[in-house]
Amino acid sequence: MTDTVGKSEVEQTPQDYKPSIRPEEQRTLPSGEKEFFFDVTTSDLEVNMGPQHPATHGVMRVLIRCDGELVTGAQAHLGYLHRCAEKIGENVEWLQYLPYTDRYDYLASMNNNLGYSLAVEALMPELEIPRRATLLRTICAELNRIASHLVAIGTYGLDIGAFTPFLYAFREREWIQALFEKICGARLTYSYIRIGGVFNDAPPGWLQEVGHFCDVFEEKWKEYHDLLAVNHVFVMRTANVGVIPKEMAIDFGLTGPMLRGSGVDFDLRRDMPYMAYGEAHEAGAFDVPLGEGKKGALGDCWDRFYVRMLEMKECIKLVRWCLEVIEDGPIIGDVPKVLKVPAGEAYVGIENPRGELGHYVHSDGGKVAVRCRVRGPSFVNLAVVEELMPGSLLADSVAIIGSTDIVIGETDR
Amino acid sequence: MEFQAIHDRLKAQGAPGLLGFDEPRPANKKEKDPGRAGMPFVTVDHTQLVEFLRVCRDDDKLALDILVDLTASDPSADSEELWILIQLLSLKHRHRLAIKAPLPKAAATVASATAIYRAAQWHERECAEMYGITFEGNPDPRHILLPDDWEGYPLRKDYEFPREYHGISCE
Repeated sequence: MTDTVGKSEVEQTPQDYKPSIRPEEQRTLPSGEKEFFFDVTTSDLEVNMGPQHPATHGVMRVLIRCDGELVTGAQAHLGYLHRCAEKIGENVEWLQYLPYTDRYDYLASMNNNLGYSLAVEALMPELEIPRRATLLRTICAELNRIASHLVAIGTYGLDIGAFTPFLYAFREREWIQALFEKICGARLTYSYIRIGGVFNDAPPGWLQEVGHFCDVFEEKWKEYHDLLAVNHVFVMRTANVGVIPKEMAIDFGLTGPMLRGSGVDFDLRRDMPYMAYGEAHEAGAFDVPLGEGKKGALGDCWDRFYVRMLEMKECIKLVRWCLEVIEDGPIIGDVPKVLKVPAGEAYVGIENPRGELGHYVHSDGGKVAVRCRVRGPSFVNLAVVEELMPGSLLADSVAIIGSTDIVIGETDR
Repeated sequence: MEFQAIHDRLKAQGAPGLLGFDEPRPANKKEKDPGRAGMPFVTVDHTQLVEFLRVCRDDDKLALDILVDLTASDPSADSEELWILIQLLSLKHRHRLAIKAPLPKAAATVASATAIYRAAQWHERECAEMYGITFEGNPDPRHILLPDDWEGYPLRKDYEFPREYHGISCE
């Protein structure tokens, strides 16, 4: 062994040695000083982001092709969390499926319960929903929207490197979860909104505590705004990144804050009202915030983020309106324990925190659905990422994915 | 626009492949009355589906510019046909249109709508793996939610649950 080492040392002559800086890479500056320059060539590199990557917010894999720091291609691979929700919907009874709806967008379970319940209720035109139930539904759905947006903005800051706002956001979210625990006993998977109404009336003092939360939250909102939204580093990381023009947003079928972030004025709660939202809008209880391109181009990551920020304020206004008009009364309509839904087909879309959550339900008059389709907003909104990433920097890919605010439970269902 | 007005407009525009429409019974009747519940939809010939969608999108009065959902359904194991179900939405006029396009199970092939709405691409991929429908012209026809080597079409009513997957027992 020592022989070979010695031999190779002898065989390596000084002529074989190439300096790392070649003479042709030198140039003389006007001052007479010699400067080296390098003509470095890069080749395409394949980067696997995920399936276990904190910025994918779950188990998703994005295959990124990049040339140096520049992303030249991206491909999303889904299905790691596929739990056959639609097949289960065809095998369990109508009421039994409700807990499964909690589990697709687990950050906005109240809204999922609501979407499914409204779709089944569309097949039962004779069923009357009591007014108190409608308003309790609205309060819970809007509080859940705030909780969901808090996670969205908190983790978005986290993705980009701001840890503190995440803790601030979770502080208020904790309160909302405590409120939900008081009304239905669960902190994340509520199954509170049922077909026909809600399953439990608000306990004594609950509505007053919600009112108190609204007062406190408006103060706290300013903290997020100062800490994150107008933070110079945050703005630099998100403004002019991942710009979605109006036409592209419409072509890709984006909905929710993704669509409004691009300046398209459309909100299902106002434009195709369901439940008490039409009445609330007439009473001036909420507006629809839009992206305005304040910090950069219209439809960039900052705009989408800021639409979510402003929406939280509107939710507070809506909850306050509900607290004003709510009255005592029954909380659930006349729904039998073993539910047979009249034959028919219906598609109902509602405004979830992430966009339009659609349920297509088809009944043949029996106890089990023939088809139970779920149109998850995250699934549709994610498709645009493959288009946005090429041409951006590798570091911005995290900012782009974060700004879509996907929940993998919903993309994969 | 209301559903009936949308249907009349489509008819007046000579939308290719329009077969008819289906409306639910009125809400105030008793449940025992015949007729179905739910939402109205139009039926379209699947061979002309793409041309039909183009009219829906480009006509000023309709302006159905967002494809909300594209999926399929297998009404029963005995049925000879599958349904393609499309939900369109107009941002400008704030109306929806539901489309149903029956196609035979034996030859489940239809042209891809990706050229009209790019939103259709991922929906079609999901539809293809779940129902075994071929979308001709989809630029990326890989599986999306299922593994690449998955056999069978899970959402068809005659699907048999696999006994094992790569040596892992599913019993």
